[in-house]
Amino acid sequence: MSEEAIETTNGLKAKKDVAGRVFFGLALASIGALALITIFILVQGMPLIAKVGVFDFIFGTKWAPLQGYFGIFPMIVGSVTVTLGAVILGIPISLCCSIFLAEFAPATFRNAFRPAIQLLAGIPSVVYGFWGLLFVVPLIRDYLGGPGLSILAGAIILAIMILPTVISISEVSILALPRQYKEGALALGMTHWQTIRSVQLPAAKSGIVAAIILGIGRAIGETMAVIMVLGNAVALPRSILDPVRTLTTNIGIEMGYATGDHQQALFATGIVLFLIIMVLNATAQYIVRRK
Amino acid sequence: MKIRKIAILLLALCVGLLSGCGSRRGAAVIVAGSTSVQPYAEVLAEEYALLHPESVVDVQGGGSSAGISAAVSGTADIGMSSRALHDSELELWNVVIAKDGLAVIIHPDNPLQNLTLEQVRCIYAATISNWGELGGQEAEIHVIAREEGSGTRNAFEDLAMAKVEITPRAIVQDSNGAVRQLVSNDRNAIGFISLGLVDHTVKALELDGVAPTWDNVMGGNYTLYRPFIFVVAGEPTGLAKQFIDYTLSTEGQQLLMHEGLIPTMMLATEGAEQ
Amino acid sequence: MAKIQTIEANLYYDNFHALRDITMDIRDRAITAIIGPSGCGKSSLLRIFNRMNDLIPGAKVKGEVLLDGKNVYDNSAMDVVSLRQKVGMVFQKPNVFPMSIYDNIVIGPRHHGIKGKKNLDEIAEKSLRQVALWDEVKDSLKKPGLALPAGAQQRLCIARALAVAPEVILMDESCSALDPESTMKIEELMTELAKTYAIIIVTHNMEQALRVSDMAAFIMIDENKAGGLVEYAPTTEVFANPKDKRTEDYITGRFG
Repeated sequence: MSEEAIETTNGLKAKKDVAGRVFFGLALASIGALALITIFILVQGMPLIAKVGVFDFIFGTKWAPLQGYFGIFPMIVGSVTVTLGAVILGIPISLCCSIFLAEFAPATFRNAFRPAIQLLAGIPSVVYGFWGLLFVVPLIRDYLGGPGLSILAGAIILAIMILPTVISISEVSILALPRQYKEGALALGMTHWQTIRSVQLPAAKSGIVAAIILGIGRAIGETMAVIMVLGNAVALPRSILDPVRTLTTNIGIEMGYATGDHQQALFATGIVLFLIIMVLNATAQYIVRRK
Repeated sequence: MKIRKIAILLLALCVGLLSGCGSRRGAAVIVAGSTSVQPYAEVLAEEYALLHPESVVDVQGGGSSAGISAAVSGTADIGMSSRALHDSELELWNVVIAKDGLAVIIHPDNPLQNLTLEQVRCIYAATISNWGELGGQEAEIHVIAREEGSGTRNAFEDLAMAKVEITPRAIVQDSNGAVRQLVSNDRNAIGFISLGLVDHTVKALELDGVAPTWDNVMGGNYTLYRPFIFVVAGEPTGLAKQFIDYTLSTEGQQLLMHEGLIPTMMLATEGAEQ
Repeated sequence: MAKIQTIEANLYYDNFHALRDITMDIRDRAITAIIGPSGCGKSSLLRIFNRMNDLIPGAKVKGEVLLDGKNVYDNSAMDVVSLRQKVGMVFQKPNVFPMSIYDNIVIGPRHHGIKGKKNLDEIAEKSLRQVALWDEVKDSLKKPGLALPAGAQQRLCIARALAVAPEVILMDESCSALDPESTMKIEELMTELAKTYAIIIVTHNMEQALRVSDMAAFIMIDENKAGGLVEYAPTTEVFANPKDKRTEDYITGRFG
């Protein structure tokens, strides 16, 4: 054993240490960024919530920041209704698509369809919004009435936008099931569809629920696309053809000019949104882990 | 060793970026503020750049209030405002570069030509909600407004609403262009935008029988107009002063007029020429 | 009369010839063991009886496979759903579904149109009694089936197959994943079930074949890698007095 050899091993070890430290540093940086953003939003927004009062802020129905009214309840209702609409429209389509891809589609079709779905995820949200404004909004206005800018328009756009997330995650969770489940069910004389409905879907339930929750998170957090098609009125909607404003669009549409309390109120809106999305993601994590 | 190399590299990158910023800063005037003024300031900046290729005028948005505070803090050399200055802001150096009429616009197919200011107010307060009540076709009025904090909304509230609140049910859009786009596509919509941005896709209403024309604003008959103001922290100097002088020159004012604004300096310059 | 007959049955995976000219009669109320070296096509042969090979893209059967005289590959004579109801299958590893014990049992009957809680309860009890699991689980029917130990899971799978009232039960190395004690229980169960059903098993375990089966079929690949039936006779005969040299070599442990 020469000294040289010892040196080489030490050198290797040192190299590993350096790599470890670099990665640790980078990981720390991303967590640090998250912490900074969180602290910044809290510091900016909390004073206003304290001033207005949590209850009045969340359940107040009047939003006129320049006159001192900071009620975001219409926006919460807006976010919830638009997201719910997107779920009602988008989830059944997504599930059918994922079942079709995982179970029925011939390989050649699947190989063409899957990238196409992924492509949907790559389209910038502003393009969805623009398309919605020029295509979906006039359709609603002409055939269903109202100004067209509406909960329905937003829900349709978001339903399309959550497709890639929900489809790919549920497809993966169906494909990840042990082959034995399917064989076992078929061997009992169940049809392919009965097998999917009664054995495979329940077995893939946790993955599918996680997919849906992530889809909801995507829908509730979307800003650019819906800002263009929702109409952004700050009033409690009376029907799905009424314009609404969501928490995200409230920030997006008023950020430009906001100063002082108004700006703080927008950060406070951000806090509420942040909490909602954290709860959603935590739920998704919990469901996936439980499996 | 590697870490040191990376650190040096990063440092070099930072220095490079900073020096880049610095050198650019030296020859540039930053103009920031009202998005209503922004497109006009951009036109001015382009023309100015043709005349003075060595200097750069950088025009940014952000809104009237943000523009004014940017001018105060020094983030911008010139702040743009599309609303009258508040009392606290009046001590800043400022100049009205032009006036902008506000046009109340409807779809070209809407048969109405004229509304009273009172009627406009009632529409925006949602006490009138059907075109039928105004002599048009029976249809719900789709009211479109700008967002809270916008200079255009602010001007509209001051000039047309007389302390009456705009209905929260109004559709809110965050730019003149978006309002115009919506009105041009919806025959039941009503909106308000800068007079200079009215084009053939929408119809500008007469108010109390007065058409929103250049002459009527100049003559004081059409009352829906607001000032476009440049604000500077102190007496303007250097490039900022040169750009403001250019804006107020005959050339600059003609340019703004050509873009649809109502010049403020025209009479004075005409007087000087004679 | 034979419960199942194959007449020159051939199986192809695309261009690969997996089974060649299998002709055999399988008796009712008896256990037939399919034995042979790894990769000779034992499982493939088992799966042509309930058309599980249909799941593999490119799989194709030529020749005839008759259940009670009806060709199972002729859709006008018998559809695949009713075939699989009549020919149940138990797999190598217990494949209990991720649901309650009770639901595992009744899922089959439910899909075959049996309604009413009382009827389903009866089926559940009867099937679980048949596999001697009833006393163990009667108080925990709502618990997840996957919580049972492996041996009990495999018996649950057998009960699940019995619940749809089959006539034939296919068992694909159904004890290979189990401990000796569980294996013994399953073997007892096979013998018991053979009083009512035709049972076909695939096994690697010569002792098991000898212990439980009435008939033994020895399968081996030929020079073209296609599996063929070398010898088919009562188990005692195959083991005591093999007619073919290859059978003798295999059962005496010279290869395989």
